[in-house]
Amino acid sequence: MTKNLTDRFFSAALWMILVLLALMLVPFVFSQSVVSLINEMLIMALAGCALNLMLGYGGMVSFGPAGLYAVGAYSTAILLTRYGAPFFIAVLAAPVIAAIIGTIVGWFCVRRSAVYFALLTLAFAQIIWTVIFEWYDFTNGDNGIVSIPIPEVLYSIRNIYYFSLAFVAICIFVLWRIVRSPFGATLQSIRENPMRTEFIAVPVRRYQLAAFVISSFFLGIAGSLFCVFAGSVFPDYAHWVKSTDMLVVCLLGGIHNFAGPIIGSSVYILISKVIAKNTTYWMFFLGIIIVFLVLYMRNGIAGFAAEKLSRWKNRLQGTNG
Amino acid sequence: MTLEAFTGQALSGISVGMVLFLVAAGLSIIFGTLKVLNLAHGTIYMVGGFLCYLLTSKLVQIPGAFWWTLFIAPVAVAAIGGVIEVLLLRRIYAQEMLYQYILTFALILIIGDACKFFFGVSYKTVAVPWPVNGNVSLWGLSFPLYNLFLIGCGIFVFLALSALIRYTSLGRIVRAVTHNREMASALGINVPRVYTGVFMLGSYLAGLAGTLMPPMSVVALGSDMAVIIECFIIVVIGGLGSLPGAFLGAIILGLLNAFGIYIIPKLALAFPFMLMIVILIIRPWGLLGKPE
Amino acid sequence: MRNGWRMVIVMILAVAMTAVFAASSPAQEKKPIVVGFIHSMSGAMSMYGISSEAGGKIAIEEINAAGGVLGRPFKMITRDDKLNPEVGLREAKDLLLSEKADFLTGTISSAVALAISNYVKREKKLFIVTISQSSSITEENFHRYVFRINTNAVPYWGYAPAIALAKTKKAKKIISLGFDYETGKNSLKGFKEKYLQLVPDAKIIDELWAPLGTTDFTAYITKIANSGADAFFLACIYGGGELAFTKQAYAFGLYDKMYAIQPCAGDVETWSGVKKGEPYPKGALATARYPFWAIKGARNEAFVDKHLKMTGFWPSYGAMNQYVTMYAMKAAIEKAGGVDTEKIIDALEGMILDTFVGKIPIRAYDHQAMMPNWYGIIDFTQKLTFPHLIAAGVIGEEGYHTVDQIKKLRGK
Repeated sequence: MTKNLTDRFFSAALWMILVLLALMLVPFVFSQSVVSLINEMLIMALAGCALNLMLGYGGMVSFGPAGLYAVGAYSTAILLTRYGAPFFIAVLAAPVIAAIIGTIVGWFCVRRSAVYFALLTLAFAQIIWTVIFEWYDFTNGDNGIVSIPIPEVLYSIRNIYYFSLAFVAICIFVLWRIVRSPFGATLQSIRENPMRTEFIAVPVRRYQLAAFVISSFFLGIAGSLFCVFAGSVFPDYAHWVKSTDMLVVCLLGGIHNFAGPIIGSSVYILISKVIAKNTTYWMFFLGIIIVFLVLYMRNGIAGFAAEKLSRWKNRLQGTNG
Repeated sequence: MTLEAFTGQALSGISVGMVLFLVAAGLSIIFGTLKVLNLAHGTIYMVGGFLCYLLTSKLVQIPGAFWWTLFIAPVAVAAIGGVIEVLLLRRIYAQEMLYQYILTFALILIIGDACKFFFGVSYKTVAVPWPVNGNVSLWGLSFPLYNLFLIGCGIFVFLALSALIRYTSLGRIVRAVTHNREMASALGINVPRVYTGVFMLGSYLAGLAGTLMPPMSVVALGSDMAVIIECFIIVVIGGLGSLPGAFLGAIILGLLNAFGIYIIPKLALAFPFMLMIVILIIRPWGLLGKPE
Repeated sequence: MRNGWRMVIVMILAVAMTAVFAASSPAQEKKPIVVGFIHSMSGAMSMYGISSEAGGKIAIEEINAAGGVLGRPFKMITRDDKLNPEVGLREAKDLLLSEKADFLTGTISSAVALAISNYVKREKKLFIVTISQSSSITEENFHRYVFRINTNAVPYWGYAPAIALAKTKKAKKIISLGFDYETGKNSLKGFKEKYLQLVPDAKIIDELWAPLGTTDFTAYITKIANSGADAFFLACIYGGGELAFTKQAYAFGLYDKMYAIQPCAGDVETWSGVKKGEPYPKGALATARYPFWAIKGARNEAFVDKHLKMTGFWPSYGAMNQYVTMYAMKAAIEKAGGVDTEKIIDALEGMILDTFVGKIPIRAYDHQAMMPNWYGIIDFTQKLTFPHLIAAGVIGEEGYHTVDQIKKLRGK
């Protein structure tokens, strides 16, 4: 039995609405510290989805998403503290600035592919980190920026949660639409076989740059959201270790599945919190889990779930779906 | 700056660069043949440092403890490398680069915490060994003999490795596998064994560097992260997969670090990365690498 | 299929772990006063975390054994900030919201301290810093809910070495080398300010900056050796970096060539592994935050003993600070008549701490305890196996910024 496109759209949309409803009920069900944790997961999920546009759909392995994330966070922070900008301007400017920086960085990076692309993204991310760290007069250097003036209404954990949820939901929906659009399809075909795609007159580099810029845009939003959530920003937001967190989140959830980073971020934050609570050697256990993932669960949790679901469906229907 | 000061500065930069050369050479060789960028290479170097500390303190009664350690420790590190290659890396050669990256990153976490578990968190020091523990007077500057010894080591290893690759049959086999693995396999070469061997060689070099470093510095957790970034810069400058490239790149980075301090430090931190970007854009195969 | 089962096992394990560890702790008879302790418990700085935790635990054991605070025991919950402000903030939130901590204490990273400080300001809960050095915590970023019961970067890295140098060698041509970050920069600024005030004809002939955390200083050392200075000053080079620097400088004969002002050389944690015959900061002028061998008194000796037994290594200043903090909180809670944050803060302001390192006031204007800094020369003596400070003097309140200076910094 084949599903037509409308059916598929509706079933995916149904899932998304259910999840969204569940998320909206969270503050009524869970304690404040759990709500705060889920808030963090949401922001990480957005960052993961933004990265996955390049990673899973574009096949472009970037070692430096944290750089653009930090640009977003610092943009909001600096606009609010140094220039006293109105709150929404500061938040909405962040992705724009991140996208601009992303355009510059991306323009250089997409000129190369595979490991050279990855090394370029790493070099740029480290430069962003260095600039944040060194430019003390502008960014407050290693002390970070604290006491960021966010509206008092967002002091309450519940309110900041809904604020983040609103932004994250809208952004993920937009990303979903992008991925399902012809642009998204072309991007995937570039990932599968860049040479062939070039033969059918697709400007590969331009598409890759577009993916890079869109990714940067949403990474910027994620960074800005985290700035508002935490009330402070630090140079470590740009460090390549944070980039690795984002990559692991995508991998854990499954890079070939849109919902992957969302699942991945929840599981990752949960696991790191549980492990860290109980042992000082949490890095060891995290490493083991990652190795396990890479060797046995390459498609991540979402990939595994999707596989199981389709098998289950096949068994019920008795035919190949 | 006087000529004496210049020479002293240059020599000190190059001596540090030589240790980095050893690590970078290992990374480069591994990438050249196995096509894997081993992120945990810096951590393997750090293990070498810890083993150096362990062995020198255990063998402290034996004269020449350090030299025995220099003989044993890198071999132990190579063995660890072999285990990693056979158990883990073998399974991901066919996979996309992302998985290799994530796997080797996981190794950083695992091995790093293992070091913490076995050796604790305090800094470890190793004394400079006799007979290279004196000083030479270089134009009024008191220069440690050990640093000159390091320069000697670096040059020696470079020449030895180059000779190994160019003139021995082992080297020929490695070159064949690097060039065209299917063809080499078709000719009866046991490619998986060559891969393991190359990885062990690369690890040996990292372990050697890790053993040579403690007398002039300190063994500390976290040193792996700093080293791996420096290595990336070196192999990009010199060319991924090129041994002379690693040598040249290490010298350039060493000199850059030595003379960079005369320039405003605000940007000095970013210089190596900017150089990396320039090379990756203009000539990604580095100064001495080959275009793919 | 095999792959699938493995994954199921991992998932079940993860869920089981979560369930087990999320389960509530056993009920207490007397409701304890919950101390939220956040520090660097893993990674390169973890010896300070472990040491500080031990100091706190020793105090808590003693206090609880003597009947607790107003009849209630202290209970310490330890969290690891992984030197990361995001993680530290998350743990602070969890401690206050889930664990219902009555106050927070700890931290070594100033970034973590600032993030937590910012958070407790909103929540109106108390946070006592016990290692983080950045002066901005109690100066530019001061607010009512943050206290610091340890010395800060101003005296330790700046004023105290300057005062000490002016009292001893009075070097005239100084070259400085520091880690390139804010505390390093401030350290040199403080040192210059104070020293040039005390010895006006002295000069800082050059300022060198190394990337934070580096362990290779050879290039800087050769430059220093060729600089023509008669003394060098290390601005915030500590821990593994300092150890490496000393080794390299010793190898280049720098300690024989010029006078060394090396503040951190006085701290135990870095040097306890160094034996006679190995490189050490020979004859360097150093400051120390807790030279336990130079402090007289049975209480001090008991503390050192207990710490050694608990951790296996000598106590750091972090341990001493944490110990003093717990007793300070006991006194404040007793004076306030209960665990009321506002009343406790009022009690702490201006309180004089009776510690085994002296009577120390907590200045009300910036909530900074006037912890002393000791200075002296580094050498080996019969007392200990490692090189240590031969204490020549103590610098107390005069090492800190004055209230007027802080007023200016706060822009008032």
